[in-house]
Amino acid sequence: MKILIIIIQVAVLTAIAPLISGIIRKIKNNIRMRRGTSVFQPYYNLAKLFAKNEVVSENASWIFRVTPFVVIASAIFALSLVPLVNAGNNVNYAGDILLIMFTLMLGRFFLALSGLDTGSAFGGMGSSREMFISSLVEPAMMISIFVVAANASSTNQYLIAARGHVSFSAIVAGIALLMVTIAETSRIPVDNQETHLELTMIHEAMVLEYSGRSLALIELASHIKQIVFFTILANVIFPIGAGLAVYVVKILMISAMIGVIEISIAKMRLFRAVDFLTFSLVLSMAALVISAAGL
Amino acid sequence: MDYKVIIKDVLENNDIGPGDISECYGDEVRINATALNFKNICLGLHKINRSPVMMLFASDERAGRGVFVVTAVFMAAKYKKWFFVNMDVKKESPAFDSLSKEIYSATFFEREIKEMFGIEPKDHPDMRRLNLHDEVWPEGAYPLRKDFNAGAKSESAGAYEFKRIEGEGVFEVPVGPVHAGIIGPGHFRFSVAGEPIINLETRLGFTHRGVEKLMEGKDVPGAIRIAECVTGDSCFGHSLAFSHAVEKICGAKVPEGVLAARAIFLELERMYNHVADIGGIAIDVGFSFPSNHAAMIKETMLALNQKLTGSRYLKNINEIGGIKKNLSAEERSYLRKTLVQVLKDFKDLKTTLLDSVSFMDRADSTGVLRKKTAEDLGVVGLAARASGIPMDLRKDFPGIYDKIKFNLMKQDNGDALARLNVRLSEFEGSAGIIMQLLDKLDLQAVEPSGAKMSIKAGSALGYAEGWRGAILYWVKLNEEGIVERCKIVDPSFHNWAGLSFAVLGNIIPDFPLCNKSFNLSYPGNDL
Repeated sequence: MKILIIIIQVAVLTAIAPLISGIIRKIKNNIRMRRGTSVFQPYYNLAKLFAKNEVVSENASWIFRVTPFVVIASAIFALSLVPLVNAGNNVNYAGDILLIMFTLMLGRFFLALSGLDTGSAFGGMGSSREMFISSLVEPAMMISIFVVAANASSTNQYLIAARGHVSFSAIVAGIALLMVTIAETSRIPVDNQETHLELTMIHEAMVLEYSGRSLALIELASHIKQIVFFTILANVIFPIGAGLAVYVVKILMISAMIGVIEISIAKMRLFRAVDFLTFSLVLSMAALVISAAGL
Repeated sequence: MDYKVIIKDVLENNDIGPGDISECYGDEVRINATALNFKNICLGLHKINRSPVMMLFASDERAGRGVFVVTAVFMAAKYKKWFFVNMDVKKESPAFDSLSKEIYSATFFEREIKEMFGIEPKDHPDMRRLNLHDEVWPEGAYPLRKDFNAGAKSESAGAYEFKRIEGEGVFEVPVGPVHAGIIGPGHFRFSVAGEPIINLETRLGFTHRGVEKLMEGKDVPGAIRIAECVTGDSCFGHSLAFSHAVEKICGAKVPEGVLAARAIFLELERMYNHVADIGGIAIDVGFSFPSNHAAMIKETMLALNQKLTGSRYLKNINEIGGIKKNLSAEERSYLRKTLVQVLKDFKDLKTTLLDSVSFMDRADSTGVLRKKTAEDLGVVGLAARASGIPMDLRKDFPGIYDKIKFNLMKQDNGDALARLNVRLSEFEGSAGIIMQLLDKLDLQAVEPSGAKMSIKAGSALGYAEGWRGAILYWVKLNEEGIVERCKIVDPSFHNWAGLSFAVLGNIIPDFPLCNKSFNLSYPGNDL
């Protein structure tokens, strides 16, 4: 039964993951007075890419070929661990939040390797920037998660989520984690998904050599990773209310927040991202102190 | 005649008598130099006028006088004069003394002369080809020579050598010529240590179409249509500079109404380009809201152009001696009304940008081009004004602009923000100029056919301050009114070097912003 629930959860969330990206894009376009593409555009893109042939560099090694599968597998595995509906479904041995983080890092590690693998200048640039950003992201991410874990005295997400109420420290940690989410989903002000400027790219530069099916897998993995982060924000940091409807509302609210942030500010200078992420780290530490004070 | 006092020393030191100087059309001073004193005169004029080499070109006169002629052009804004230094170069193994080691702004012109005419600039530090790529152009093909056999194909596969920057941790990032956006082709070779740029070498010439060669043998009405196609974002500026040259040669009296209407079109071109660039700068730092706002204003401007002239990009409206179509009373009031609306929208756009901390942080102190560097490189136009050089042909050689009030927009910092600020104020300035022209000048007096004139033989310099900067045309006509030689200098030709210096020390992700803040033309440079 547990297995069945997990399989359904993975299937449903994978199916709606691209939709979230489409919705964020739609929100942004509406604010920009544009009609924009349909919210289903990410699906069309994926369908297009899956139907295309691949071009693989002659210099690519097995790492380049294997990476898309590692990335998609790690994303799906992470997806199977997040608590979708926080009531019931208490899978005690799974759902450890640290496991999710490390699984996602595995995917990133392979992506960075594959960026270097083909020897293109852009891939190397992208990998170096991605690692630079992730070295700043990880501490903030970890500490903000430790806050809620400390509140629940467990790193099992289901136990954290089962608390069913939000303490003050969790709100502060949530803000820190939202900033982390912005960086992790390559959004403004840290990165820019929409840009065509290869020199300014971070995540996109790293995967610039991919095409066809491999690119589709990597893009799908990015959509999934995004929904993983959103779900953690929605159900682990703010575990209020139960049921799918509440979950959907929370996800939409996070999407709208991200969309509005992306529209309202310019992308930061690359090295200015340090300030942004350091702030997030400081917030998470503050949350930890607040949590220790019992709030 | 006070310019004579100034250049007296230069001339006397170089044995130039009164017979070797002539004054034409009131704004051109032509000096006939020899191989011995050409370089010294150029250095002298460069120094006293503080003028870069505005033009340096050759022409093939072997058919008539049996020589090549090399001409250098300097600008003396103070005396409202253009100085031409002409020198004959013998046709067997032609060569002349290079100016490049003393005047940087001559460098690219001399490389161009070398590849187009096979005239050797002796002692030039960089003899690589410029726009004719070794990969496709055979050795010894000099397309601007009159006896060049067009259509000859290359079998050579030479390669271009980039400057090599070596050292620990230094690596090269090659970008282009095909870019991710829909822009022109250019290759950028960055040498970087980590993210900061140590050196940028730009390789252009991918859009070389042989415009100057195409011009040769065309009659004047045909040539002006080619001039409009030199660079698609300055159609009117180029056609205006060309028509100016021809009108000078033919001694046409152009009615004031025509001049005013042309000034209006020139300013409209400036406005749509400036607002497009402002939007471009915003999108290059990922600030999409104002960029969409700017796109709307640009579209309004283009629609306005269409309504006034029948062409969104102001093509096919300018003629020698006149304009094809007068602005009717209704069109003028529509123009006025649209400008008022556009200015209101523009004010919102300006506020959004300048009030945004995140945007200002990106633009401020990014891509600094210092004044001294800009002067040495011979940077012109908007980029020069942003670096504190008060240079604007509308002020220096005003013509119809004499009758209206406007400010020269100057900034001192030379960074991307300064170039943005120049654009912001020039956009509003241009709208003001158009309003004044509409108020003061009797456009009704414009006859579409323009001035009556007869074609004469001769040569002259035509110029216009396009939105990027000074657009220069040196045109030589024969008795039948056929173009014998036309040298075109788009401001981009001067300014690409400025970009290479402005990006030094900046990080690679800031390059698109620096690039957009200059927004130079590939086709205008490659010709």
